[in-house]
Amino acid sequence: MSRMNMGTLMTKEDHARHRRMQSLKDALRGYLFLLPWMIGIVMFVAYPLIYSFFISFHKVGVKIDGSGLKYDFVGMTNYKHAFVVDNVFPIEMFLFMREVILVVPITVIFALLISIMLNQKFKGRMLYRAVFFLPVIFASGQVLLELFNQGQGSLPLVERYNLTDVIYDVLPLTAAGTVVDLLSKFVIILWFSGVQIILFLAAFQTISKTIYEAAQIDGATPWESFWKITFPAISPFIILNLIYTLVEQSSNPFNPIISHILENTTDANTGYGYASALGWIYFAFIMLPILALVFIARRQSKKTEATR
Amino acid sequence: MNDGQIPTSEKSKVGHSSLKRLDDWRIRLRTSEGMQKSRMLIFGRHFNDGWLFKLAIYIILSAAALLYLNPVVYMLTTSLKHGTDLVNPMIQWIPSKLEWSNYASAIIGLHYWKSLIQTGWISIAASLLQMGSCAIAGYGFARMRIPGKSVFFFIVLLTFLIPPQTLSIPLYVLYSKLGWLNTPLPLLVPGLFAQGLKGAIFIIIFRQFFATLPKELEESARMDGAGPLKTFWRIMLPLARPALLIVFLFSFVWHWNDYYEPALYLKNGDFTLLAQSMQFLQGNLNSAAATGSSMGGSYFSLNESITMAAAFLIIAPPLIVYMFAQRYFVEGIERTGIVE
Repeated sequence: MSRMNMGTLMTKEDHARHRRMQSLKDALRGYLFLLPWMIGIVMFVAYPLIYSFFISFHKVGVKIDGSGLKYDFVGMTNYKHAFVVDNVFPIEMFLFMREVILVVPITVIFALLISIMLNQKFKGRMLYRAVFFLPVIFASGQVLLELFNQGQGSLPLVERYNLTDVIYDVLPLTAAGTVVDLLSKFVIILWFSGVQIILFLAAFQTISKTIYEAAQIDGATPWESFWKITFPAISPFIILNLIYTLVEQSSNPFNPIISHILENTTDANTGYGYASALGWIYFAFIMLPILALVFIARRQSKKTEATR
Repeated sequence: MNDGQIPTSEKSKVGHSSLKRLDDWRIRLRTSEGMQKSRMLIFGRHFNDGWLFKLAIYIILSAAALLYLNPVVYMLTTSLKHGTDLVNPMIQWIPSKLEWSNYASAIIGLHYWKSLIQTGWISIAASLLQMGSCAIAGYGFARMRIPGKSVFFFIVLLTFLIPPQTLSIPLYVLYSKLGWLNTPLPLLVPGLFAQGLKGAIFIIIFRQFFATLPKELEESARMDGAGPLKTFWRIMLPLARPALLIVFLFSFVWHWNDYYEPALYLKNGDFTLLAQSMQFLQGNLNSAAATGSSMGGSYFSLNESITMAAAFLIIAPPLIVYMFAQRYFVEGIERTGIVE
């Protein structure tokens, strides 16, 4: 502080040193704020990740004297086991991925349609907003499962017109199974769109009203101005919502892989090592579509920057 | 309206056939002022502000809302049905007699009051911890000059993507080594360090919120000689009240509904949360039936009504919170400026 008061008397070197000190101080202050998060990331994310990666190449057992865990290196055996020996996991993984490919777009398109309607001016729209957000409040795993078990997930339409038979008649057997399965919990799938609707509504607010007014003066219909103005502006949010939905689906209570991993954790034959390998395979499968989406988002934003 | 009249008079001059007259009448009708007005009302100036459009929106939204609420209504009505109503095909929605004893059984089966208190304090404590730690981290990311900040923030985004299943086994081993299993600690401590349930989202919310506040606030605080901690505590945190509230509410609801982590870390029965207590319904009711003289027998026949009553009891507290704080949930994300 005293140096600073000297002001004009400071030499160039002093100035540089002072500046360096200042930025060091800033950095230390900054790290002070990030410190809790850093401890958390090391303890609850980095360490578990590394440990889980480590044990996925090992067979984990209890030491003979019972004093702790022993690790026998088995190489890629656990990963091979998942696809070659385990006759449940590959099927469940395949079914899960196929379902996700359908569920994620359905959720986001539904959220987009509802949010476009909720964005219009009409009386009682706050009430409707409240209704469409409601499932976020009570989307509790076991409650959803129980509602599903009692047949409340399906569309009332499906039962009334016996659509299941129609679907089995029209579609090939495997595809029909998926569609029927989806329909039986369709409402619950739609229930997972609350946060996405809110994000879309917030995205609409970022577009300034004057653009729409200008388009209207130029004679654009609402249909045209949606595709020319709204859609490009919210397309990053569509990708964001796709990613969010994917992540949410991966921890969905209906997800059979979660229970399969948990079962293998306590299974004496497979144990922690194998369950960890399953966790990593699962992670890789989730990351594939996410990386693809991030890639698309990158290219899109570059394109818009280029046109500007 | 004048330009509409001109062609009419011209046309009447030209021909007198009935067809022409009809045409004439049509044009006059279309251009008359009252018609124009109602046309405007029905179709609107730009279509999306007319009655027709609004009517369509009401119909579609109401249909979707009915679809949405159907299972909830089912839950409520079924929870009040008597066993005979369940098998009676005549009774679909409205029970013949309100059977409140379903709730009494559900309360016994869930150990409701005990679980309610445990779930309540854990959810509140976990979300308060998460709110505080994520606010600190979010402020650091928004305002501090830190070397490698963008890398760290990238890590935050990554943590959002890692499925909890990949981390859960090592964490389980870690917690068992620390002796934290079957205690509330695995649910609380990660929150203290800005991790825990969807912690990454909350850090992002806070970062976006703090980024919208004017920089002059901190500069003037620094001029007055306040350190960064004091500036944060005294000036920035009180200003972040909307973001704090939203994060708290979301965190609370998500903690309340979380089922995966309690199912993993709280396995023996003496510390159960409501989200996982549904599976103990039958067992608890059996043992209550065995000990209590009122029910007799050691097997309690659990029907759909009691399960639905239990489901409703589980979701009732967050629903009550939502009734009061609905505005903050729904408008909150807009207000924190997360999308900018």
